[in-house]
Amino acid sequence: MEAISVDMNRLKAGEVNLGTSIMAVQFKDGVVIGADSRTTTGSYIANRVTDKLTHIHDRIYCCRSGSAADTQAIADVVHQHLQMYTQMVGGAPSVHVAANVFQDLCYTNKDNLSAGIIVAGWDKEVGPSVYNIPLGGGLFRQPWAIGGSGSTYVYGYCDATYQEGWGREETVNFVKNTLSLAMSRDGSSGGVIRMCIITEEGVERAFVPGNELPKFWEGNEVLGAPLKTKEVSDAVPMPVDA
Amino acid sequence: MAAASVYTPAGFDFSNEVRNSFLTERGIPLPKATSTGTTIVGCLFKDGIVLGADTRATEGPIVADKNCEKIHYISESIRCCGAGTAADTEFTTALISSNIELHALTTGRKPRVVTAMTMLKQMLFQYQGQIGAALVLGGVDATGPHLFTIHPHGSTDKLPYVTMGSGSLAAMAVFENGWRPNMERAEALELVTAAVSAGIFNDLGSGSNVDACVITATHTEMLRNFVKPNERVQKERSYTFRRGTTKFKKEDIRSLVVSEDVIHTGEAMDTS
Amino acid sequence: MTSIGTGYDLSASTYSPDGRIFQVEYANKAVENSGTAIGLRVKDGVVLAVEKLIHSKLLVPEANRRIQTVDRHVGLVSAGLLADGRNLANRSRDEASGYKDTYRQPIPLKFLADRLGMYVQTYTLYSSVRPFGCSTILGACDKTGPTLYIIEPSGVAYGYHGAAVGKGRQLAKTELEKIKLSELTMREAVMEAARIIHLVHDDQKEKDFELEITWVGEETKGVHLPVPKDLLEEASRRAKAALEEEIES
Repeated sequence: MEAISVDMNRLKAGEVNLGTSIMAVQFKDGVVIGADSRTTTGSYIANRVTDKLTHIHDRIYCCRSGSAADTQAIADVVHQHLQMYTQMVGGAPSVHVAANVFQDLCYTNKDNLSAGIIVAGWDKEVGPSVYNIPLGGGLFRQPWAIGGSGSTYVYGYCDATYQEGWGREETVNFVKNTLSLAMSRDGSSGGVIRMCIITEEGVERAFVPGNELPKFWEGNEVLGAPLKTKEVSDAVPMPVDA
Repeated sequence: MAAASVYTPAGFDFSNEVRNSFLTERGIPLPKATSTGTTIVGCLFKDGIVLGADTRATEGPIVADKNCEKIHYISESIRCCGAGTAADTEFTTALISSNIELHALTTGRKPRVVTAMTMLKQMLFQYQGQIGAALVLGGVDATGPHLFTIHPHGSTDKLPYVTMGSGSLAAMAVFENGWRPNMERAEALELVTAAVSAGIFNDLGSGSNVDACVITATHTEMLRNFVKPNERVQKERSYTFRRGTTKFKKEDIRSLVVSEDVIHTGEAMDTS
Repeated sequence: MTSIGTGYDLSASTYSPDGRIFQVEYANKAVENSGTAIGLRVKDGVVLAVEKLIHSKLLVPEANRRIQTVDRHVGLVSAGLLADGRNLANRSRDEASGYKDTYRQPIPLKFLADRLGMYVQTYTLYSSVRPFGCSTILGACDKTGPTLYIIEPSGVAYGYHGAAVGKGRQLAKTELEKIKLSELTMREAVMEAARIIHLVHDDQKEKDFELEITWVGEETKGVHLPVPKDLLEEASRRAKAALEEEIES
């Protein structure tokens, strides 16, 4: 909880916030990235169908959390930088390179930014990869990464569920389930689930509407329900002789 | 005239920041900037974009202007509604309008909405929210109709219907209820009017009239004061006091006009 | 060079009427006065070799190396004004470390060669500077395989299978063309490199020389290194033997 309150305080007054649940998971042929769709200003939902999965290069995307303005600006700068890189080097950048450019910006400007970014994609050198760049501007390669205010609720679920060697369908389901759980517990996350499946062949988008999210235990009414009294048995009490 | 003894760089000047925060701490608040506590909206329809705005400008609790213009010109087929600090919306849109014109001249193409959006967001991000402009940008270009919101810190959203300003909640309620894909021009205009009206009637920061602007690929129509639901009407009664209502003891009439006689003395100057 | 003395050769910022920049051509002349340097791009790596002319008996043998390392995986040898070559090597190192700072991966040689070419080219534009008096061979082995480039005083940077610059470049090129470079291993290439350097060295006219060979490839795990002493000696011995055989026959 402490981590979240620190998150919020770093935002400037009136700033548009991506109180978010974001995620990226690597599998054999690619990566699956996903995010909720809620953007808030204070208690108002400024956008309920936001796309937090941002195109960086042909096979590289990022998931944005934190300040909308900061993360959009960073993504724009990295996008431009990698366009230049592609022309100069004469080929697509690796995910590693993209993540490093992100990290450089996030670290050198850490005092002025609130941005938690997950960079994921596919490249020729190593295939699929996922990089996490949390608030301070660190850089960590992980098989799966979650981020945003909703992520704190589902670390345990991910640790307990994730397994190596999954295929595409299993990974997509994992992302879908994790985000649903995060969105149901985190007030700043919600709306729909947007996903991207990035493989060598291309980038495919997937979408789960808000009324078709996977359902889990949603709780039974406990307080309002009538108190369950001790069951009256049909058996006739034994007559007691006086 | 003496030259300034101290070099003052261009742009914002923060040198009074320490003094001002000290005064604020002592209970002397800063003067308020004129802010357009506003309802601005935009909506996508079959052939383009409809933008809408109210016309009230406020200074705290006072209505500063009862019929101001909040739909600003960016280019012929791109317009921008502004909420927030009036001066900031006025000057940022004017600057970007100018740059868009130059951009169109250098590229030899009609400007795109994303170009204006990118220029605006980069400028607002650069000033880290110090420019209090919340914008609704809409227009039609070679790639079709586009509608954006731009927040003061520089974040943007692309949506089929948007609202901003203090009346945005009331207006959004109308849109969420009434918007459908592929609306006709008349329907869209009616919906936008209803959304702005919701702001005018339910939000204290918004009021007066509805301005609207319909942008299509071929034509832009600015409908200034499209609806005027708050016209001043003839008073049903006369509230002037009858002559003699107030008793008086003495009457003294003085002439307030000062008359002067100019008397020429000496000889007149030789002007031959 | 019929236009010497016409005044068009005084500055790099002036074309001659037939569209040449004489200062750049003179820079090429400076390269021709220097000991030969060659580069071989083979199957599993790159071999660089240079004929290091010994202008004084007082020089420490095997010191004052002519082939320099730019990055772990990049070797550089230049022919011509050696001080210019060192400047270029230092610039290369800046480029390589700058690239690594931003992208945390080794610089691709193509990128380095392009950047160096641009750097060298700027010295052909102004009257206040003199073009680089050296031709530089760059060799590297990275994830895309072995690569070899030459940067000329004009600033052009071309990729090669075999490269030769300096005094004996013509003969060296003819020899390189005879070899099937893409089928050679680095060890074989070292032998060929030694043979070529010995061949192009003119015993009659020239001072003594020292043979310097480096390599980068699979055998060095992608690191640019001098070849081991025993291999260098064997290559030298074989080269001399082959040369004598040729003279006898």
